[in-house]
Amino acid sequence: MSWQTGGMTNEASTVPQRLVAFLPNLRRFAISLCHSRELADDLVQAACERAILAADSFVPDTRFDAWMFRILRNLWIDHLRRVRTAGPQEDLDAARDVAIPSGETASHARMELLEVSVALQSLPHEQREVLVLVCVEELSYRDTAEVLSIPIGTVMSRLARARKNLSELTGISMGQKRSSDTKGGVA
Amino acid sequence: MSREYFDDETLMAFADGELDAATSSRIEKALEEDETLAERVAGFSNSRMAVASAMKPLIGEPVPAALMASVRRMAEEAERGAKVTHKSGHPHDNVVPLRSRQLRPTRAPHPPWLMPAAASILAAVAGIGGFLLGRGLTPDPAFDATIAAALDRQPSGRDVPLGSSAETLHIVSSFQDGKGGLCREYELRRRQENTVTVACRQGETWVPRLALTVPRTEDYVPASAQETIDAYLASIQAGAPLSAEQEQRLLPKRDD
Repeated sequence: MSWQTGGMTNEASTVPQRLVAFLPNLRRFAISLCHSRELADDLVQAACERAILAADSFVPDTRFDAWMFRILRNLWIDHLRRVRTAGPQEDLDAARDVAIPSGETASHARMELLEVSVALQSLPHEQREVLVLVCVEELSYRDTAEVLSIPIGTVMSRLARARKNLSELTGISMGQKRSSDTKGGVA
Repeated sequence: MSREYFDDETLMAFADGELDAATSSRIEKALEEDETLAERVAGFSNSRMAVASAMKPLIGEPVPAALMASVRRMAEEAERGAKVTHKSGHPHDNVVPLRSRQLRPTRAPHPPWLMPAAASILAAVAGIGGFLLGRGLTPDPAFDATIAAALDRQPSGRDVPLGSSAETLHIVSSFQDGKGGLCREYELRRRQENTVTVACRQGETWVPRLALTVPRTEDYVPASAQETIDAYLASIQAGAPLSAEQEQRLLPKRDD
């Protein structure tokens, strides 16, 4: 059964068309990863370019979002490697353009959210990416494992560690009530 | 009765709805009487919610117009291109016709706002093929005397078999950079991959300035490698390819 070939022209489903519709998602993912809108836009641009050129390698009936995230994430990793080996870390300083959802008034809620987004950026990128894929983009553990090319067990251990770290950093998520019988956990 | 121990991963999977039914119901049962367990599960739900509510709203941000326009344009071009290739019956032609390509030094490969993206595009190339960018500081080990000798005298468009079996040197073109220096673009063709190099004459030697190695099998690398090369050529203000006569005049050793 061939989906792609023959006279079947599904207008809404070519890679380039889906890409345009997917831009807001892709950009959110990029910002979550790199914490800089400027860099995120460059990543999105490069990912789209690559996706269009590699359109044939997208398997119909598989998740388009996972496929795109994978492309963008690989570009991001390349970028990190390059920055790491390239001496002066200008990019890291430039990356302080914090990912705050715009257009909200300062409120307690916002302060808390800001903390989370800052805490997120302070995590190792391996932890950040699983966190974003699962908690923001709502990929399953299995799809996340595919995007990152790692075993599902690794996804789970990283994700659990990431969430514990985040909870520690923000102090907001360890449940409403504190029980007195815990073994003197570190504050 | 002793309490069953659940590790963090299991509780997290429970909180995320990723756990199998049997284990889930064991946890549900345990939750009824174990407050600590409930807190641990809550910790995972809360962290998920915290991250979600911090980052999800970003999707409401308008995509910058320039980015949107650029992706739309790429998409439209791709759609048109796809139709053409299907008609011509070469849907998977993965070889960029370097030979017929015209250098376009005056045309910027990207709108100015996109220039920072060049770095990302380079990264794209690096991810798949090897990528080497040097300014004459790092000699390419593959850049040996045989190639230099060929560059000295061989006209463009010619295939030069190299001593070792499966390698062929194909000299694409000669041109002058912004300062009038002589440069050549050439390809080393191997069974698995091609290396496209731009080298310029410096004193008595050829110094590789840009080298891109791309697998021959991939559909998509050559085109982006091409973009990288175009961007590089534009950056050194490469002139149009030299005619055969001009080239012969400028080559260090004439082929006669």
